[in-house]
Amino acid sequence: MRISRHAETIWHFIFMVTVLVMVFPIIYAFGMSFKPLEDAYNNVLNILPINASLENYRTLFASLPVLKITMNTFVVASVATVFKLVTSFLAAYAFVYFKFKGKEVIYFLLIGTIFIPFTVTMIPNYLIISEIGMLDSVWGVILPQLADAVGIFLIHQAMKNIPGSLIEVARLDNMGHGRIMKDIVLPLVRPAVTSVGIWFFIGTWNEFVWPVLVLKTTENYTLPLALQMFISSEGGTNFTVAMAVSVITMIIPLILYLSFQKYIIGTFTSSGIK
Amino acid sequence: MSSLTAARRMLQINRENAIGYLLLVPSIIIFAVFTFWPIIYTVYLSFFDWNMISPTKEYVGLKNYIEVLSDPKTYRILGNTFLYIALLLVINCAIPYIFAFVIDIVLKKYKNFYKSALFLPAFISLVVGSILFTWMLNPVSGPLAIVFGWIGLEIPNWSKAEGWIIVVLSLITSWKIFGYNFILLYASINGISREIIEAAKLDNIPLWRIFIQIILPMSSATGIYVFIITIVQSLQYVFTPVKVVSQGGPDYASSNLIYHAYHEAFVVYRTGHSATLSIITMALFLLLLFLEFKFVERGVYYEN
Amino acid sequence: MKEIKFEHVKKSYGDTEVVKDLNFTIKEGERLILLGPSGCGKSTILRMIAGLEDITAGNLFMNGQKVNDIPSGKRNVSMVFQNYALYPHMTVKQNIIYGLKVKKVDKEEIEKRLEFVLEMLQLKGYEDRLPKQLSGGQRQRVALARATVKRSDFFLLDEPLSNLDAQLRVSARKELKKIHEMLGQTIVYVTHDQIEAMTFADRIVLMYNGELQMIDTPENVYHRPANVFTAKFIGSPPTNILEMELGDGSVKIGKQSFLLNDLWKQQISQIGAEELLFGIRPEHTELSAIPLPNGLRGQVKYVENQGDNYGVYLDVDGQELIAMSENGNWHDGQDAYVRPFMEKFHFFFKNTEKNIGYPQQMKVVEELHYLEEGKVTV
Repeated sequence: MRISRHAETIWHFIFMVTVLVMVFPIIYAFGMSFKPLEDAYNNVLNILPINASLENYRTLFASLPVLKITMNTFVVASVATVFKLVTSFLAAYAFVYFKFKGKEVIYFLLIGTIFIPFTVTMIPNYLIISEIGMLDSVWGVILPQLADAVGIFLIHQAMKNIPGSLIEVARLDNMGHGRIMKDIVLPLVRPAVTSVGIWFFIGTWNEFVWPVLVLKTTENYTLPLALQMFISSEGGTNFTVAMAVSVITMIIPLILYLSFQKYIIGTFTSSGIK
Repeated sequence: MSSLTAARRMLQINRENAIGYLLLVPSIIIFAVFTFWPIIYTVYLSFFDWNMISPTKEYVGLKNYIEVLSDPKTYRILGNTFLYIALLLVINCAIPYIFAFVIDIVLKKYKNFYKSALFLPAFISLVVGSILFTWMLNPVSGPLAIVFGWIGLEIPNWSKAEGWIIVVLSLITSWKIFGYNFILLYASINGISREIIEAAKLDNIPLWRIFIQIILPMSSATGIYVFIITIVQSLQYVFTPVKVVSQGGPDYASSNLIYHAYHEAFVVYRTGHSATLSIITMALFLLLLFLEFKFVERGVYYEN
Repeated sequence: MKEIKFEHVKKSYGDTEVVKDLNFTIKEGERLILLGPSGCGKSTILRMIAGLEDITAGNLFMNGQKVNDIPSGKRNVSMVFQNYALYPHMTVKQNIIYGLKVKKVDKEEIEKRLEFVLEMLQLKGYEDRLPKQLSGGQRQRVALARATVKRSDFFLLDEPLSNLDAQLRVSARKELKKIHEMLGQTIVYVTHDQIEAMTFADRIVLMYNGELQMIDTPENVYHRPANVFTAKFIGSPPTNILEMELGDGSVKIGKQSFLLNDLWKQQISQIGAEELLFGIRPEHTELSAIPLPNGLRGQVKYVENQGDNYGVYLDVDGQELIAMSENGNWHDGQDAYVRPFMEKFHFFFKNTEKNIGYPQQMKVVEELHYLEEGKVTV
């Protein structure tokens, strides 16, 4: 079978158009965040601003505690990520290296939660968080997110790929589980743990649904909530300022993704969902 | 003490596997408190009339279910939900499947660039996506409207148009989830032994046949996984553009089961209705999983 | 007393018994090879010694101590795995000394031992490489070094050479012997390769289907197979096993027969006439195109070139018999005559497939051990 040049060219064209649809809005947002508002309406098709200015950012910083909000987002994302990684790593280790009764059932139940719609848990979780006085606090956003089924699943997959004989050698050397975890398993699954960590970090950074329920005052908002303020139901007039918030929201995930994309794509392509 | 020993014997706990249980404790506590108990409590709430503020809940039996199921709004929203599912499946399951096949088998150049670029939006906030696309697709002053204007086309006023609103919100959601599904499917197709594909090529089998008769069956495990998460998770992702762009409007035309359950609970404070809707949604998902296990799983090809 | 003793040891996974009632002793300082086809249970036995598999029933003793419930790390064993199991993220040096560091062995002592194994296994200059930067043979030597450096009483090897090519295997076997001569541990070595077993073992344990078939020296396993399985498994092409009838002082195969000498006559009469099978190795025959006295006639079916000689497959009255020949000028369908060497005969009971024993004057080496019957000197 020969793939005709023709077909290949057509497919390249289709892929290029798709990439454009995916990436163009992001680039456009950067340009627009530096455009004065009338520029945005008059020179719609210019990706780069004609009269670049920091006006939008100035307006933004004057009207919102941007640093505080960014800090909130950072705290939520990093605390949740660290806890999710630790709990997922420990659980995955238990599932891979121990035999105990009910292991399969527990695994099935935990992984099964991936398929539970969040609306089923949102009211009780809201009540719990409000009961313990964490409403309108980043800790209330963090608390239900200290463990993660996807994390258990992905790290479990990575650990399963370590040859069993490596662990057996360690056991013959009379090594305890703490040492095996620290010296052998962790270094070997580090690429997976790193990309899962980045995935978690970006996931909680961008999270919207749950913080919307918990956080009430602008002071305590995370970036996606702050962003939402700029789009009223009618489209809003502060569009260019919204673009500035968008840029601030996107910048950290973009940097992380672009620096670790090889790792991340590697982890997702080797996880072998079955 | 003796009951402890008995329990130990029952679970066959010894020092070795006790550590195993111990390692699971953190995850299990979090899941028990914030997932499993809430599921039970939501089932409980679906039998009560409550507004989240009043100190008492009134037991109403099946009244919530009867009200929800006899409300024409529910069916309208259910219809929307299925429309979302259909659109999302086409855009985020069928198309990425073909894309993954093409990038693995047909294309030789720029593969890594395409993979990185298509996966990129998965890392960007969907709120950002919603705002960006609201602007890009603005029917009057958006860039697309202007380009369309040159060739005499018009963008419908989608935010006010029933049907169109669902199409646009599905597109926005797809922008976020397309790449993730694409990468999973690519991984699965890329994992198929090259010998099998090369053998087919040597036999001069046309590409579409290779795709349907070799690639589809051999990657079907991942295919079905992607099929299910597209339904289960992207329906929840749709929540964000709905909340940001349309709040379910106009007149429930863009609401789905997930958004409506939120709306009932946190906008109009009818926890009973919200809980009932959530339970119905969960039942639909479970039914789906059950059907998958019962009928599809048998024909699935699993490596190993 | 660095010996290992199996007492009615059994291993099963659910309903499948993979090792059935094992009884034998591995002597201090010997090189014992566990040999058998894949799935025979040999690796399971090794892993039970290492403590990596539980024992379902029976007792295992090491150093005179019952070890059924002693964890791996406390059994004083080192092990070389088939895939080498090198830590991919550690350098050669780190791989070798990691176990010692965990055991908190004195720093100077670690350095001393490291020098010793690096020297002996020609790994000098590779200390700081990662396993992926080494060749297969070098990785194998690192695995060996890591196991050696522990100076444990028991040295276990699970198919350690099967990922190497033929030439490297020969040199690796020499290295192993050298290590053993210097350190004198008890070696238990699993392989499916009979050449490896023959060249390396003090004694061979031959396993099949979870059952011990024979435990003896390589010479005896070859010359005095305890049963039909052993006779056929050892040697290539395998021992010919032929249906036969006893005549009056002769062996009748098909319609033909040849005479037995007095030694065999006496031996066979001693055990009483029963249904027997006749065994002869292909290399213990003479093949000729002209009739041979006391020989059998057959038709050539197939000739296999083995380099230095030819395996000639004959049809002898409906049964297959393989004979070795130095020339390859045989054509299919041709008549050929085979004379089996009298002193290399084997006879087996037809019902139990066990060897009937050999005339005393014919013995090859000191003594024979027969399965279950204990020692039988014939």
